[in-house]
Amino acid sequence: MDDDMIFDPSLKKKKKKKTGFDMDAALASEQGESTSVEAPVESGDVDVPEDENLDLDNFGKKKKKKKKTFFNLEELESALPETTEEKPPAEEPEPQEEDLVDDLDLEIDFSKTKKKRRKKNLDELVAEEENNENQENAEDLHGDWVSTDRDYTYDELLERVFDIMREKNPAMVSGKKQKFIMRPPQVVRIGTKKTSFANFTEICKTLHRQPKHLLDFLLAELGTSGSVDGNSQLIIKGRFQQKQIENVLRRYIKEYVTCHTCRSPDTILQKDTRLFFLQCETCGSRCSVASIKSGFQAVTGKRAAIRAKIA
Amino acid sequence: MSIQNLNTFDPFADAIKSSEDDVQDGLVHVRIQQRNGRKTLTTVQGLSSEYDLKKIVRACKKEFACNGTVVEHPEYGEVLQLQGDQRENICQWLTKSGLVKPEQLKVHGF
Repeated sequence: MDDDMIFDPSLKKKKKKKTGFDMDAALASEQGESTSVEAPVESGDVDVPEDENLDLDNFGKKKKKKKKTFFNLEELESALPETTEEKPPAEEPEPQEEDLVDDLDLEIDFSKTKKKRRKKNLDELVAEEENNENQENAEDLHGDWVSTDRDYTYDELLERVFDIMREKNPAMVSGKKQKFIMRPPQVVRIGTKKTSFANFTEICKTLHRQPKHLLDFLLAELGTSGSVDGNSQLIIKGRFQQKQIENVLRRYIKEYVTCHTCRSPDTILQKDTRLFFLQCETCGSRCSVASIKSGFQAVTGKRAAIRAKIA
Repeated sequence: MSIQNLNTFDPFADAIKSSEDDVQDGLVHVRIQQRNGRKTLTTVQGLSSEYDLKKIVRACKKEFACNGTVVEHPEYGEVLQLQGDQRENICQWLTKSGLVKPEQLKVHGF
Protein backbone atom coordinates (compact mmCIF):
# COMPACT_ATOMS: atom_id res chain seq x y z
CA MET A 1 0.00 0.00 0.00
CA ASP A 2 2.72 2.44 0.99
CA ASP A 3 4.62 1.65 -2.12
CA ASP A 4 1.55 2.26 -4.13
CA MET A 5 1.02 5.54 -2.42
CA ILE A 6 4.57 6.53 -3.15
CA PHE A 7 4.50 5.38 -6.67
CA ASP A 8 1.12 6.71 -7.59
CA PRO A 9 1.91 10.41 -8.04
CA SER A 10 5.01 9.75 -10.04
CA LEU A 11 3.12 7.35 -12.24
CA LYS A 12 0.42 9.88 -12.76
CA LYS A 13 2.97 12.50 -13.64
CA LYS A 14 4.57 10.17 -16.10
CA LYS A 15 1.25 9.31 -17.56
CA LYS A 16 0.38 12.95 -17.95
CA LYS A 17 3.65 13.61 -19.66
CA LYS A 18 3.20 10.60 -21.81
CA THR A 19 -0.23 11.60 -22.87
CA GLY A 20 1.17 14.91 -23.97
CA PHE A 21 3.79 13.16 -25.99
CA ASP A 22 1.43 10.53 -27.20
CA MET A 23 -0.89 13.08 -28.67
CA ASP A 24 1.89 14.51 -30.74
CA ALA A 25 3.19 11.11 -31.66
CA ALA A 26 -0.25 9.87 -32.53
CA LEU A 27 -0.92 12.90 -34.64
CA ALA A 28 2.41 12.49 -36.33
CA SER A 29 1.86 8.82 -36.92
CA GLU A 30 -1.61 9.45 -38.21
CA GLN A 31 -0.25 11.99 -40.58
CA GLY A 32 2.44 9.58 -41.58
CA GLU A 33 -0.07 6.85 -42.18
CA SER A 34 -2.37 9.03 -44.14
CA THR A 35 0.39 10.59 -46.16
CA SER A 36 2.79 7.82 -46.96
CA VAL A 37 1.89 4.31 -47.79
CA GLU A 38 5.36 3.05 -47.09
CA ALA A 39 5.58 4.57 -43.64
CA PRO A 40 6.40 1.30 -41.88
CA VAL A 41 9.24 0.60 -44.24
CA GLU A 42 10.62 4.05 -43.79
CA SER A 43 10.70 3.77 -40.07
CA GLY A 44 12.37 0.39 -40.39
CA ASP A 45 15.82 -0.46 -39.12
CA VAL A 46 18.95 1.10 -40.43
CA ASP A 47 20.64 -2.19 -41.10
CA VAL A 48 18.45 -3.07 -44.08
CA PRO A 49 20.44 -1.47 -46.85
CA GLU A 50 18.14 -2.28 -49.76
CA ASP A 51 15.08 -0.72 -48.26
CA GLU A 52 17.09 2.23 -47.18
CA ASN A 53 18.30 2.69 -50.67
CA LEU A 54 14.86 2.96 -52.07
CA ASP A 55 13.68 5.12 -49.27
CA LEU A 56 16.55 7.50 -49.63
CA ASP A 57 15.51 8.00 -53.20
CA ASN A 58 12.01 8.87 -52.20
CA PHE A 59 12.59 10.64 -48.96
CA GLY A 60 12.79 14.07 -50.48
CA LYS A 61 9.74 13.43 -52.57
CA LYS A 62 7.65 12.27 -49.69
CA LYS A 63 8.34 15.42 -47.76
CA LYS A 64 7.30 17.50 -50.68
CA LYS A 65 4.26 15.50 -51.57
CA LYS A 66 2.75 15.16 -48.18
CA LYS A 67 -0.74 15.79 -49.35
CA LYS A 68 -0.67 13.85 -52.54
CA THR A 69 0.09 10.30 -51.62
CA PHE A 70 1.41 7.79 -54.00
CA PHE A 71 2.89 4.40 -53.74
CA ASN A 72 5.13 3.35 -56.51
CA LEU A 73 5.90 0.00 -57.90
CA GLU A 74 9.57 -0.19 -57.12
CA GLU A 75 8.91 0.27 -53.47
CA LEU A 76 6.10 -2.11 -53.77
CA GLU A 77 8.30 -4.74 -55.23
CA SER A 78 10.86 -4.21 -52.56
CA ALA A 79 8.15 -4.55 -49.99
CA LEU A 80 6.91 -7.75 -51.47
CA PRO A 81 8.76 -10.69 -50.05
CA GLU A 82 9.08 -12.82 -53.15
CA THR A 83 10.97 -10.45 -55.39
CA THR A 84 14.27 -11.60 -56.74
CA GLU A 85 16.92 -10.94 -54.20
CA GLU A 86 19.88 -10.53 -56.47
CA LYS A 87 18.64 -7.69 -58.54
CA PRO A 88 18.22 -4.72 -56.23
CA PRO A 89 21.87 -4.58 -55.10
CA ALA A 90 22.99 -5.16 -58.66
CA GLU A 91 20.88 -2.36 -60.02
CA GLU A 92 22.27 0.24 -57.74
CA PRO A 93 25.60 -0.91 -56.46
CA GLU A 94 27.08 2.48 -55.81
CA PRO A 95 24.48 3.96 -53.48
CA GLN A 96 24.47 0.80 -51.54
CA GLU A 97 28.18 0.99 -51.01
CA GLU A 98 27.72 4.49 -49.80
CA ASP A 99 25.18 3.17 -47.40
CA LEU A 100 27.56 0.55 -46.26
CA VAL A 101 30.12 3.22 -45.66
CA ASP A 102 27.61 5.13 -43.64
CA ASP A 103 26.81 2.06 -41.67
CA LEU A 104 30.43 1.43 -40.96
CA ASP A 105 30.88 5.00 -39.87
CA LEU A 106 27.92 4.66 -37.62
CA GLU A 107 29.33 1.50 -36.18
CA ILE A 108 32.59 3.22 -35.56
CA ASP A 109 30.80 6.03 -33.88
CA PHE A 110 28.88 3.71 -31.65
CA SER A 111 31.60 1.33 -30.71
CA LYS A 112 34.66 3.47 -30.54
CA THR A 113 33.22 6.59 -29.12
CA LYS A 114 31.83 4.71 -26.20
CA LYS A 115 34.90 2.67 -25.47
CA LYS A 116 37.84 4.56 -26.77
CA ARG A 117 37.08 8.22 -26.63
CA ARG A 118 37.55 8.17 -22.94
CA LYS A 119 40.95 6.55 -23.23
CA LYS A 120 42.35 7.63 -26.58
CA ASN A 121 42.84 11.05 -28.02
CA LEU A 122 40.43 12.46 -30.52
CA ASP A 123 43.20 12.76 -33.08
CA GLU A 124 43.81 9.04 -33.05
CA LEU A 125 40.15 8.40 -33.58
CA VAL A 126 40.00 10.75 -36.51
CA ALA A 127 43.05 9.12 -37.98
CA GLU A 128 41.47 5.72 -37.61
CA GLU A 129 38.31 6.84 -39.26
CA GLU A 130 40.26 8.35 -42.08
CA ASN A 131 42.11 5.12 -42.53
CA ASN A 132 38.89 3.24 -42.71
CA GLU A 133 37.48 5.68 -45.20
CA ASN A 134 40.59 5.41 -47.30
CA GLN A 135 40.31 1.66 -47.34
CA GLU A 136 36.72 1.83 -48.38
CA ASN A 137 37.48 4.40 -51.03
CA ALA A 138 40.09 2.07 -52.40
CA GLU A 139 37.45 -0.60 -52.60
CA ASP A 140 35.09 1.80 -54.27
CA LEU A 141 37.43 2.41 -57.15
CA HIS A 142 36.34 -0.33 -59.48
CA GLY A 143 38.70 -1.73 -61.96
CA ASP A 144 41.73 -1.28 -59.77
CA TRP A 145 42.28 -5.02 -60.01
CA VAL A 146 42.93 -4.69 -63.72
CA SER A 147 46.51 -3.65 -63.14
CA THR A 148 47.12 -6.09 -60.30
CA ASP A 149 47.62 -9.81 -60.46
CA ARG A 150 45.13 -10.78 -57.82
CA ASP A 151 41.93 -12.61 -58.59
CA TYR A 152 38.92 -10.43 -59.17
CA THR A 153 35.88 -11.05 -57.06
CA TYR A 154 32.38 -11.64 -58.31
CA ASP A 155 31.15 -8.30 -56.99
CA GLU A 156 33.81 -6.39 -58.85
CA LEU A 157 32.97 -8.12 -62.10
CA LEU A 158 29.28 -7.54 -61.59
CA GLU A 159 29.87 -3.88 -60.94
CA ARG A 160 32.02 -3.62 -64.03
CA VAL A 161 29.35 -5.20 -66.18
CA PHE A 162 26.71 -2.85 -64.87
CA ASP A 163 28.97 0.16 -65.35
CA ILE A 164 29.49 -0.83 -68.95
CA MET A 165 25.79 -1.39 -69.42
CA ARG A 166 25.03 2.02 -68.03
CA GLU A 167 27.61 3.64 -70.26
CA LYS A 168 26.33 1.94 -73.37
CA ASN A 169 22.65 2.66 -72.92
CA PRO A 170 21.82 5.47 -70.54
CA ALA A 171 18.16 5.04 -71.44
CA MET A 172 18.03 1.92 -69.28
CA VAL A 173 19.14 3.86 -66.23
CA SER A 174 16.57 6.55 -66.78
CA GLY A 175 13.98 3.84 -67.45
CA LYS A 176 14.75 2.29 -64.11
CA LYS A 177 14.17 5.60 -62.41
CA GLN A 178 10.80 5.95 -64.03
CA LYS A 179 8.44 4.88 -61.35
CA PHE A 180 4.97 3.57 -61.50
CA ILE A 181 2.96 5.90 -59.36
CA MET A 182 -0.60 5.33 -58.35
CA ARG A 183 -2.94 6.76 -55.82
CA PRO A 184 -3.65 4.78 -52.70
CA PRO A 185 -7.09 3.21 -52.46
CA GLN A 186 -9.67 5.28 -50.61
CA VAL A 187 -11.34 2.90 -48.25
CA VAL A 188 -14.22 4.06 -46.10
CA ARG A 189 -16.47 2.07 -43.82
CA ILE A 190 -20.17 2.24 -44.57
CA GLY A 191 -22.10 1.48 -41.44
CA THR A 192 -20.72 -1.47 -39.53
CA LYS A 193 -20.76 -4.26 -42.05
CA LYS A 194 -19.78 -2.78 -45.38
CA THR A 195 -16.71 -1.12 -46.77
CA SER A 196 -16.54 1.27 -49.68
CA PHE A 197 -13.60 1.39 -52.04
CA ALA A 198 -14.20 4.84 -53.48
CA ASN A 199 -11.60 5.19 -56.25
CA PHE A 200 -11.94 1.64 -57.52
CA THR A 201 -12.53 2.52 -61.18
CA GLU A 202 -9.78 5.11 -61.08
CA ILE A 203 -7.32 2.49 -59.91
CA CYS A 204 -8.54 0.11 -62.60
CA LYS A 205 -7.81 2.79 -65.15
CA THR A 206 -4.31 3.46 -63.85
CA LEU A 207 -3.59 -0.27 -63.89
CA HIS A 208 -5.19 -0.67 -67.36
CA ARG A 209 -7.26 -3.60 -66.20
CA GLN A 210 -10.91 -4.44 -66.57
CA PRO A 211 -12.82 -3.50 -63.41
CA LYS A 212 -14.42 -6.92 -63.48
CA HIS A 213 -11.06 -8.67 -63.31
CA LEU A 214 -9.87 -6.65 -60.35
CA LEU A 215 -13.26 -7.04 -58.72
CA ASP A 216 -13.10 -10.80 -59.09
CA PHE A 217 -9.63 -10.88 -57.63
CA LEU A 218 -10.48 -8.66 -54.69
CA LEU A 219 -13.58 -10.57 -53.78
CA ALA A 220 -11.89 -13.94 -54.14
CA GLU A 221 -8.94 -12.89 -52.03
CA LEU A 222 -11.01 -11.28 -49.33
CA GLY A 223 -13.49 -14.13 -49.37
CA THR A 224 -16.52 -11.88 -49.43
CA SER A 225 -19.11 -10.53 -51.82
CA GLY A 226 -19.50 -7.07 -53.21
CA SER A 227 -20.47 -4.98 -56.18
CA VAL A 228 -19.84 -1.71 -57.96
CA ASP A 229 -22.54 0.84 -57.24
CA GLY A 230 -23.81 3.81 -59.25
CA ASN A 231 -21.05 6.19 -58.17
CA SER A 232 -18.49 3.72 -59.58
CA GLN A 233 -17.33 2.83 -56.11
CA LEU A 234 -16.92 -0.71 -54.92
CA ILE A 235 -18.96 -1.85 -51.96
CA ILE A 236 -17.47 -4.83 -50.19
CA LYS A 237 -19.20 -6.80 -47.49
CA GLY A 238 -17.14 -6.92 -44.33
CA ARG A 239 -14.83 -4.54 -42.51
CA PHE A 240 -11.61 -3.74 -44.25
CA GLN A 241 -8.99 -1.10 -43.70
CA GLN A 242 -7.03 0.77 -46.30
CA LYS A 243 -3.87 -1.11 -45.40
CA GLN A 244 -5.51 -4.44 -45.96
CA ILE A 245 -6.88 -3.43 -49.35
CA GLU A 246 -3.45 -2.11 -50.25
CA ASN A 247 -1.92 -5.48 -49.47
CA VAL A 248 -4.36 -7.23 -51.75
CA LEU A 249 -3.81 -4.64 -54.48
CA ARG A 250 -0.08 -5.16 -54.21
CA ARG A 251 -0.52 -8.86 -54.72
CA TYR A 252 -2.77 -8.17 -57.71
CA ILE A 253 -0.22 -5.84 -59.27
CA LYS A 254 2.56 -8.32 -58.73
CA GLU A 255 0.65 -11.16 -60.31
CA TYR A 256 -1.45 -9.50 -63.00
CA VAL A 257 0.10 -6.12 -63.82
CA THR A 258 3.87 -6.21 -63.68
CA CYS A 259 5.68 -8.28 -66.27
CA HIS A 260 7.09 -11.40 -64.69
CA THR A 261 10.27 -11.10 -66.71
CA CYS A 262 11.19 -7.42 -66.70
CA ARG A 263 8.79 -6.15 -64.02
CA SER A 264 7.56 -3.34 -66.22
CA PRO A 265 3.96 -2.30 -65.56
CA ASP A 266 3.39 -1.70 -69.26
CA THR A 267 1.47 -4.89 -69.95
CA ILE A 268 -1.74 -6.12 -71.51
CA LEU A 269 -3.90 -8.88 -70.09
CA GLN A 270 -5.52 -11.02 -72.74
CA LYS A 271 -7.90 -13.90 -72.46
CA ASP A 272 -7.06 -16.77 -74.75
CA THR A 273 -8.97 -20.04 -74.65
CA ARG A 274 -10.03 -19.76 -71.05
CA LEU A 275 -6.52 -18.76 -69.93
CA PHE A 276 -5.28 -15.30 -69.11
CA PHE A 277 -2.01 -14.24 -70.70
CA LEU A 278 0.11 -11.29 -69.70
CA GLN A 279 1.74 -9.63 -72.68
CA CYS A 280 4.55 -7.22 -71.91
CA GLU A 281 4.81 -4.13 -74.10
CA THR A 282 8.37 -3.40 -73.07
CA CYS A 283 10.17 -6.69 -73.43
CA GLY A 284 7.59 -8.55 -75.50
CA SER A 285 7.38 -11.54 -73.21
CA ARG A 286 4.12 -13.38 -72.88
CA CYS A 287 3.25 -15.65 -70.04
CA SER A 288 0.15 -17.17 -68.58
CA VAL A 289 -1.07 -16.00 -65.21
CA ALA A 290 -3.00 -17.91 -62.60
CA SER A 291 -6.74 -17.85 -62.92
CA ILE A 292 -8.73 -16.31 -60.12
CA LYS A 293 -10.27 -18.90 -57.89
CA SER A 294 -12.07 -18.21 -54.70
CA GLY A 295 -11.46 -21.75 -53.49
CA PHE A 296 -13.13 -23.23 -50.48
CA GLN A 297 -15.54 -20.94 -48.68
CA ALA A 298 -16.66 -21.94 -45.26
CA VAL A 299 -20.19 -21.32 -44.12
CA THR A 300 -20.14 -18.15 -42.06
CA GLY A 301 -23.70 -16.99 -42.35
CA LYS A 302 -26.72 -18.43 -40.69
CA ARG A 303 -27.31 -21.96 -41.82
CA ALA A 304 -31.04 -21.65 -41.36
CA ALA A 305 -31.12 -18.75 -43.82
CA ILE A 306 -29.14 -20.75 -46.38
CA ARG A 307 -31.46 -23.69 -46.00
CA ALA A 308 -34.45 -21.43 -46.44
CA LYS A 309 -32.93 -20.04 -49.64
CA ILE A 310 -32.36 -23.48 -51.14
CA ALA A 311 -35.78 -24.77 -50.21
CA MET B 1 30.67 -58.46 -69.31
CA SER B 2 27.87 -56.01 -69.01
CA ILE B 3 26.68 -53.85 -71.83
CA GLN B 4 25.45 -50.57 -70.57
CA ASN B 5 22.71 -50.27 -73.15
CA LEU B 6 21.08 -53.47 -72.02
CA ASN B 7 20.81 -52.35 -68.44
CA THR B 8 17.29 -51.62 -67.40
CA PHE B 9 16.84 -47.94 -66.81
CA ASP B 10 13.78 -46.54 -65.21
CA PRO B 11 13.12 -43.11 -66.66
CA PHE B 12 10.58 -42.34 -63.96
CA ALA B 13 12.90 -43.07 -61.08
CA ASP B 14 13.32 -39.39 -60.30
CA ALA B 15 9.64 -38.68 -60.39
CA ILE B 16 8.80 -41.53 -58.08
CA LYS B 17 11.58 -40.60 -55.71
CA SER B 18 10.53 -37.00 -55.43
CA SER B 19 6.95 -37.93 -54.80
CA GLU B 20 8.06 -40.33 -52.11
CA ASP B 21 10.10 -37.68 -50.42
CA ASP B 22 7.18 -35.36 -49.90
CA VAL B 23 3.63 -36.54 -49.91
CA GLN B 24 2.37 -33.01 -50.31
CA ASP B 25 1.88 -31.96 -53.90
CA GLY B 26 0.28 -28.79 -55.10
CA LEU B 27 -0.30 -25.58 -53.25
CA VAL B 28 -1.81 -25.31 -49.82
CA HIS B 29 -4.14 -22.33 -49.70
CA VAL B 30 -4.52 -20.60 -46.38
CA ARG B 31 -7.49 -18.26 -46.37
CA ILE B 32 -9.21 -16.02 -43.93
CA GLN B 33 -12.90 -15.26 -43.76
CA GLN B 34 -14.64 -12.60 -41.76
CA ARG B 35 -17.49 -13.60 -39.55
CA ASN B 36 -19.80 -11.43 -37.52
CA GLY B 37 -18.10 -8.77 -35.47
CA ARG B 38 -14.36 -9.03 -35.37
CA LYS B 39 -14.38 -12.79 -35.51
CA THR B 40 -12.57 -14.60 -38.25
CA LEU B 41 -12.15 -18.09 -39.60
CA THR B 42 -9.02 -19.60 -41.12
CA THR B 43 -9.34 -22.32 -43.75
CA VAL B 44 -6.53 -24.54 -44.98
CA GLN B 45 -7.26 -26.11 -48.34
CA GLY B 46 -5.16 -28.48 -50.40
CA LEU B 47 -3.40 -30.55 -47.76
CA SER B 48 -2.54 -33.97 -49.12
CA SER B 49 -5.12 -36.66 -48.50
CA GLU B 50 -2.29 -38.91 -47.33
CA TYR B 51 -2.12 -36.89 -44.14
CA ASP B 52 -4.47 -37.63 -41.33
CA LEU B 53 -6.27 -34.29 -41.17
CA LYS B 54 -8.00 -35.20 -37.94
CA LYS B 55 -4.67 -35.63 -36.21
CA ILE B 56 -3.41 -32.38 -37.66
CA VAL B 57 -6.46 -30.49 -36.48
CA ARG B 58 -6.14 -32.02 -33.05
CA ALA B 59 -2.54 -30.86 -32.79
CA CYS B 60 -3.36 -27.42 -34.14
CA LYS B 61 -6.22 -26.91 -31.72
CA LYS B 62 -3.91 -27.62 -28.84
CA GLU B 63 -1.05 -25.55 -30.22
CA PHE B 64 -3.00 -22.41 -31.11
CA ALA B 65 -5.60 -22.74 -28.36
CA CYS B 66 -8.51 -22.50 -30.76
CA ASN B 67 -11.26 -24.73 -31.97
CA GLY B 68 -11.26 -26.33 -35.38
CA THR B 69 -12.76 -28.97 -37.60
CA VAL B 70 -12.20 -30.93 -40.75
CA VAL B 71 -14.81 -30.28 -43.42
CA GLU B 72 -15.37 -32.54 -46.37
CA HIS B 73 -15.91 -30.73 -49.66
CA PRO B 74 -16.82 -32.47 -52.94
CA GLU B 75 -14.40 -30.41 -55.02
CA TYR B 76 -11.60 -29.44 -52.67
CA GLY B 77 -11.47 -32.57 -50.54
CA GLU B 78 -10.88 -32.30 -46.84
CA VAL B 79 -10.47 -28.75 -45.64
CA LEU B 80 -9.21 -27.64 -42.27
CA GLN B 81 -11.10 -24.93 -40.42
CA LEU B 82 -9.70 -23.07 -37.47
CA GLN B 83 -11.30 -20.36 -35.41
CA GLY B 84 -9.66 -16.97 -35.46
CA ASP B 85 -6.87 -15.56 -37.58
CA GLN B 86 -4.41 -18.45 -37.47
CA ARG B 87 -2.75 -17.77 -40.81
CA GLU B 88 0.71 -17.11 -39.44
CA ASN B 89 0.43 -19.84 -36.84
CA ILE B 90 -0.64 -22.49 -39.30
CA CYS B 91 2.03 -21.50 -41.83
CA GLN B 92 4.74 -21.72 -39.21
CA TRP B 93 3.41 -24.94 -37.82
CA LEU B 94 3.06 -26.66 -41.19
CA THR B 95 6.59 -25.74 -42.22
CA LYS B 96 8.08 -26.55 -38.85
CA SER B 97 6.47 -29.96 -38.76
CA GLY B 98 7.75 -30.58 -42.28
CA LEU B 99 4.33 -31.36 -43.72
CA VAL B 100 4.47 -28.55 -46.29
CA LYS B 101 7.36 -26.69 -47.81
CA PRO B 102 7.28 -22.91 -47.48
CA GLU B 103 7.05 -22.46 -51.25
CA GLN B 104 3.94 -24.63 -51.36
CA LEU B 105 2.06 -22.34 -49.00
CA LYS B 106 -0.12 -19.63 -50.44
CA VAL B 107 -1.69 -17.20 -48.03
CA HIS B 108 -4.76 -15.32 -49.19
CA GLY B 109 -6.77 -12.55 -47.68
CA PHE B 110 -5.76 -9.14 -46.45
